[in-house]
Amino acid sequence: MRKKILVTVMSAMLACSMLGTCAMAGETEAEGTGLAAEGTLVVGFDAEYPPYGYMDDNGDYTGFDLDLAQAVCELEGWTMEAKPIDWDSKDMELNSGSIDCIWNGFTMNGREDDYTFSVPYVNNSQVIVTAEDSGIDSLAALEGKTVGVQADSAALALLSEGGEQADLAGTFGDLTQFADYNTAFAELMAGSLDAVAIDIGVAQYQINGREGYVILDEYLNAEQYAVGVKKGNTVLADIIDKDLAIMLENGSFEEIAAKYADMGIKADMLCLAESLGLDETEAENA
Amino acid sequence: MPLLEMKHIRKRFDENEVIRDISLRVDKGEILSIIGPSGSGKSTMLRCATMLETIDSGEIWYMDERAAYVDAKGSKVYPRGEEQKKVRSYFGLVFQNFNLFPHYSVMKNITDPPIHNQKRQKAEVYEEARMLLKKMGLEDKENAYPCQLSGGQCQRVAIARALALNPQILFFDEPTSALDPELTGEVLKVIRSLADLHIAMVIVTHEMNFAREISDHIIFMDQGVVAVEGKPEDVFNAEHARMRAFLGKLEH
Amino acid sequence: MSFQVMMHELGEGMLKSMGIFSLTLLFALPLGLLVSFGRMSKNRLLKGVVWTYISIMRGTPLMLQLLAVYFGPFYLAGLKLGSNWRFTAIILAFSVNYAAYFAEIYRSGIESMPPGQYEAAQLLGYTKVSTFMRIIFPQVIKRILPAVTNEVITLIKDTSLAFSLAYAEMFTIAKQIAAKETSFMPFLAAAVFYYVFNALIAFLMERIEKAMAYYT
Repeated sequence: MRKKILVTVMSAMLACSMLGTCAMAGETEAEGTGLAAEGTLVVGFDAEYPPYGYMDDNGDYTGFDLDLAQAVCELEGWTMEAKPIDWDSKDMELNSGSIDCIWNGFTMNGREDDYTFSVPYVNNSQVIVTAEDSGIDSLAALEGKTVGVQADSAALALLSEGGEQADLAGTFGDLTQFADYNTAFAELMAGSLDAVAIDIGVAQYQINGREGYVILDEYLNAEQYAVGVKKGNTVLADIIDKDLAIMLENGSFEEIAAKYADMGIKADMLCLAESLGLDETEAENA
Repeated sequence: MPLLEMKHIRKRFDENEVIRDISLRVDKGEILSIIGPSGSGKSTMLRCATMLETIDSGEIWYMDERAAYVDAKGSKVYPRGEEQKKVRSYFGLVFQNFNLFPHYSVMKNITDPPIHNQKRQKAEVYEEARMLLKKMGLEDKENAYPCQLSGGQCQRVAIARALALNPQILFFDEPTSALDPELTGEVLKVIRSLADLHIAMVIVTHEMNFAREISDHIIFMDQGVVAVEGKPEDVFNAEHARMRAFLGKLEH
Repeated sequence: MSFQVMMHELGEGMLKSMGIFSLTLLFALPLGLLVSFGRMSKNRLLKGVVWTYISIMRGTPLMLQLLAVYFGPFYLAGLKLGSNWRFTAIILAFSVNYAAYFAEIYRSGIESMPPGQYEAAQLLGYTKVSTFMRIIFPQVIKRILPAVTNEVITLIKDTSLAFSLAYAEMFTIAKQIAAKETSFMPFLAAAVFYYVFNALIAFLMERIEKAMAYYT
């Protein structure tokens, strides 16, 4: 919510300019590639979001999504710049052209009006993680419990008023927001949170690194990840779609996914083939 | 030729007229003491003479040059630039609270103004400063800092500092008022010794015996005017009710 | 991630933090002095403008100022933000913010100087400029040193706000490693980095204070 407040204040401060911004949104798109700086794809991501984007053992930025972006750049002959951003400022970064896209386990559902998206490539779900010994085994058992959720996340949108699971959230004792998953899991361990609402891929990564946590079998929803570009920048979105199709065809998409399989990217989560209308394999995804 | 002439000076702070039409003159080598009760305008007179305060009417002359005045329209005319520098070089002032520069050593306090402001030769200034310190009885204190000195020593450094600029006339604004009684003697002794230099001095003081003994001329100020003036014995023997009351108070 | 790699990454982040830190001081300390002159000016318009500036800088969060400076040219004028603008904007926002705080510190120091020092300097023939440079300012520095030390130490910790403009300084790197390792260890290491740097600065400031303790 921090970012919401910031944006509100900034809009107030720059009230008149905001009108200009809307007017400009359509006209700043570059012709050709839709990149802010020709030949360089600046990928905005949250570097605290393994396995999609994070710092690897050598101190370099890596992850499933960054590898995909790198592959697109190789196909296009672009240079990729991985730009770790403050997740709270992602809209300003994107709208001002500081980054070209958000490629970072970015849930598209509910955000269709704010961004132009590529085809979805991962079926994600929001899930509930609890401690093994908590005795919570269903969504109904969360009644009266304290549930944590990351600020400004898709899970928060889902549980907030107007979200699909707002009624469920109504049964919680409390819904508290945290800034990062480390803090959330520490709170879970310490008992100040009973459960955490979180993306499934991230949940699997976090549980792999820790002892004694489980994902509830009941999921909160089904949603999809896609690459977000500035609203109206269909040129860049189309290029990404085209390249993803090539990568699916030549197998490199699955190769990259396989690298991250034991970090939480399960093969049954991939939905690129389905999105591109080539769903001979995993059609069971909702 | 008078060194200093102040003619019909008036000065007010808000509604309070502190100096009401005072005139005075100081000749070469003359020692003038200004005495009077607190609030009589003695210090203000000194601050006007040294241009720390501007006058509301009247004229100030240094060395036969009109240095500052208030014109017919009531505008205050004060010297600027080179002219100001020249006028200021005629006089020095010793403050009640010394106002030494605490971050400078005794030596630097004395030598920095002549070297930096008068562009004089370093060696010459240092030599002169050592002579002055010797005269003040502080030859062993040149590397000390003001905070390491007693009040009496500080005041003697301040006198040396003022003298190092070779002024024609030196003003003293109650030079012993901030000192413990046992320290006033050493400062008065130093001031007495300056009489030999034939430098003109204007001294605002509460030390009546000192004033009587050292002065060529004494002014008794009361409520912003000169109430009595003349040679010391004349002033101290004058039958002026307020002055008698003032002297009587001091004696008890 | 091995311990060496982690320390290496954090060390690089620390260099970035120190870059923000030293450039901010380099610009904010002199700028603050100028601002304090404006704040004490007899010109009412200048005084009012500077008062407003200080009030905004101190009255709004630094993070918001960072965002405003960086994104301002785009949202206000529709200008493209070049890739060098990010770091420039960070230094600009930090400098302008800290200058406001430093200005008030300078002002408190300058206004605490006894008028007798100015009067003595005037009588001894110092010009206005020499009076300030030789007599007043050296004493002001001594008076404000403890307050400046406070601000400087706050600045070290404030450098982590640069992340709101996607600048990967030390604390950001620590958060990223922590996320990857699902561990709090990197934070401990970051704390040690900050502490050591702060201790170094505190030691340096103490030395300066001691060097100026020869008078009171």
